[in-house]
Amino acid sequence: MLAVVAAPVAALSGSLRPGLAAPVGAGIAGLAAVATLVGWLSGGGAVDVAWAPSLDLRFAIELDGLAALYSLLATGIGFAVLVYSSRYLPLHLEHEREATGTSDPGVRFYFFILLFMGSMVGLAMAQDLILVFVFWDLTAIASYYLIGFDRHKEESRASALMALLVTGITAVLLLIGALVFYAAYGTFSIPELVELTEPGALVTLAGGLIAVAGLAKSAQVPFQFWLPRAMAAPTPVSAYLHSAAMVAAGVLLIGRVYPLLQKSEVLLNALLVIGLLSIAVGGIIALTRNVMKQLLAYSTISQYGYVVFMFGLGGEYGAMAASFYVIAHALSKSALFLTAGAVTEATHETEISRIGGLARRMPLLAAASGAAAAGLAALPLTIGFFKDELLFDAALERGAPFAGLALLAAVLTLAYTWRFWSGVFLGEARGHAERVPWALVAPVAVLGSLVLVGGILVEPFAALARDAGAASFDAPVEVEPAYHLEASPENLLALATYAIGALVILSRPIWIGAARAFARAGELAGPERAYNAALRGLNRFSDFIHTIEVRDLRGRVATILVPSGILVGLGILATPSGDVYRVGEVTGDDVPLVLALAAAAIATVAIIFTKKHVTLVLVLSSAGFATAVAFAFFGAPDVALVAILIETLITLLVLGTLKLIPRKVLESGARIPVRQVWRKGSVAAVAGATAFVVAWGTLSQPSAVEGGAAARLTELAPEAHANDVVTVILADFRALDTIGEVTVVALVLLGVATLLFRGRLP
Amino acid sequence: MTEGGKKAPVEGVTSTLTQVIAKVLLVPTLMIAVATLFKGYAQTGDGFSAGVIAALAIVLQYLAFGREVVERYLPVQGLGTLSWLGLLLALGVAAVGLFRGDALFTHYPAPGAEVIHIGTVEVITAVLFDVGIFLLVFGYAVGAVRIIAGVIQRQESGEPEEEAVYHDTEERLARREERA
Repeated sequence: MLAVVAAPVAALSGSLRPGLAAPVGAGIAGLAAVATLVGWLSGGGAVDVAWAPSLDLRFAIELDGLAALYSLLATGIGFAVLVYSSRYLPLHLEHEREATGTSDPGVRFYFFILLFMGSMVGLAMAQDLILVFVFWDLTAIASYYLIGFDRHKEESRASALMALLVTGITAVLLLIGALVFYAAYGTFSIPELVELTEPGALVTLAGGLIAVAGLAKSAQVPFQFWLPRAMAAPTPVSAYLHSAAMVAAGVLLIGRVYPLLQKSEVLLNALLVIGLLSIAVGGIIALTRNVMKQLLAYSTISQYGYVVFMFGLGGEYGAMAASFYVIAHALSKSALFLTAGAVTEATHETEISRIGGLARRMPLLAAASGAAAAGLAALPLTIGFFKDELLFDAALERGAPFAGLALLAAVLTLAYTWRFWSGVFLGEARGHAERVPWALVAPVAVLGSLVLVGGILVEPFAALARDAGAASFDAPVEVEPAYHLEASPENLLALATYAIGALVILSRPIWIGAARAFARAGELAGPERAYNAALRGLNRFSDFIHTIEVRDLRGRVATILVPSGILVGLGILATPSGDVYRVGEVTGDDVPLVLALAAAAIATVAIIFTKKHVTLVLVLSSAGFATAVAFAFFGAPDVALVAILIETLITLLVLGTLKLIPRKVLESGARIPVRQVWRKGSVAAVAGATAFVVAWGTLSQPSAVEGGAAARLTELAPEAHANDVVTVILADFRALDTIGEVTVVALVLLGVATLLFRGRLP
Repeated sequence: MTEGGKKAPVEGVTSTLTQVIAKVLLVPTLMIAVATLFKGYAQTGDGFSAGVIAALAIVLQYLAFGREVVERYLPVQGLGTLSWLGLLLALGVAAVGLFRGDALFTHYPAPGAEVIHIGTVEVITAVLFDVGIFLLVFGYAVGAVRIIAGVIQRQESGEPEEEAVYHDTEERLARREERA
């Protein structure tokens, strides 16, 4: 709960003193991590408040195993990342300042990363699908601002938009899935749904929709392309995004709704296939990448492919192994990302081929990230060994072919991890390397040593994963990872991994061409092209509509008036109209009304003959005033009052706007070609005739004025504590309409400010 | 009179008479606006008209004295933001029902229940909703006038930023003539 309030607190302290945001943020993250740990050890807790009972929405959160795991990751790794950023961010901003000459205290970084953390924790604990959706979108929004942190860079902005679109559009599928479940079972609560649902097409459909949202967020095939792009973010963001937030949120969602998913064999098989594809695509491309962060990004795709694969394998091994894998991967991957950031800071290089031999100059960093890399590559004495042991266990339970696939996956991991670590730290020394501050190394060291601790004392991590697995599996899980010094199938598979992995590393010259061709093919025909084409197409479509509709003000008014006039006209022609149109009689009392209407009519006709814009505006407004007077005589003082006020204001605003247009433009715009006169005339005729017929028809019906709805309204108004029917309609009976209308007003002001004032609200 | 003043808010064009009247009218107009707002439930008028009346009071000052004088003596800075505050307030009132298990836009106290009166003002949430509408309309109108006045002034002092607007307009016009 602490994490949820962290973002505003950090932003507040940051706006007071820019230097304060980092320590406050890190402190809160640390406290939140401890609080989560204590909460988990003391057995968790739950809050369930119905915040919108009429819509069946509940604020239901529970600290179960799954929630504890992801909250600990989000806050714990968040803490490490924040400590790291407290040193990294000033350096990063320094570079940016040199590049662009702008200064930026970067407080928003802390705000958004803490918002990210808070929504991650909320997402982990949420037990209600709508609540999940809310936190889900919050993470998307936070990630948008974090990825696009360097907002002056085109690339950053495009990447941020891509991440937002890919995860945001698929999030709608999550909402649709939730609504399908609600329509069928009348609840959004996940535990209740688990009890209620029966295997069938509905579960497959709704569960599938939710799973797609999860897969897109976890950057699985075919949504994988946004993740490598998101590397445009500052390094701490990448580390956090990949290990504990955003991407982890995808598998978290799958783990959360897993009790629903496992009721459908189709979905499990789909997860299996997608997981395998992602392992292959991510792994092979990672082998070809040269930029450190790109390599790690593709490795993340591949690693989460494992998790999805294991969820697809099913069974208690699958559920528990997936959770354990997330822990092991988060520790290793965040350490490796932070390493990449520190190395870049030291050498000012981002490509593996331009650095090397850093082990001698940065021994501590090399050792720490070596431990992390060993963890990722599943070497013994690291927590990673157990993740692969569990992977093999889960695969073996399903059958030998799956064990073979798991073996290949493990080999790929070993190969690209080696490539990263050896490329950076081994070989001959290239380039120069500066000393890096301790705050850039210490988090890596802590995470690295955690990887090692997990290799010896696996029980705490396993207990957490078991708890999480139990929440996903919806039944207690009894899986004990441990070292078995015997020729068990898992150990043999692990040995085979090392052997084949070494072979793959040594035979790099042989296969690298094929791998590069594969990566190139992905660029040429991959889903990213589909995304770009769709985006361009949408843009073009929007331009097309724009040119049709809003080329100029007249055209725009015509596009509204003519179609509605024709439609209404057709409707009138289609309905039988016997004595609907009656010509009433004019008595002496009506003289003022007739006079006012005559004035309005004269003014309207006079508009045709005006030449100058100023005259046009004045004549138009006099027509409006005359109509307002008519309303006053008609017995509608509210309408008359509003009409007069609005007419005054609009006249002034239009005159002011005319002043903005240069005289030359106004004069040339006043000459209207003959063809346009005819066009304008016919538009006016259609609109006027329709309005006339509709008004005539309405006024011919006395019942519409007396009795019926009108009488009922007048009766109801005092009930709603009012004497003025018009006001009570606006504020109470039809308040939803009012809200819609006034929202338009607020948006118009935003539009005016954007056009004339660079978007600053006055 | 007023329109002429708007077109050229330069010293000398607006007469002393206009300025005196504008000065005298400012406070009464705002008072009438507030009265229209709160008496809307018993008499003609509501938040919308009240917002326009209040905005007209400010606009009159702009017409009579010009932008610089008004912005020096009246706290109009940031009034445009009021429109969004008003929208938030209205939406907030609308959402009250949700939290209490009723439909959206349920107003309290319930129909027929006892209402506290302060003079003619009845304490019900619908009035709060109307206050939101008032703020929104007021903020919109004053904001729009401030923007236009600001741009006119920049234009007169000849800042280059406005050139872009001209070019665009002229270009669009040229293209349109080509088509016609």
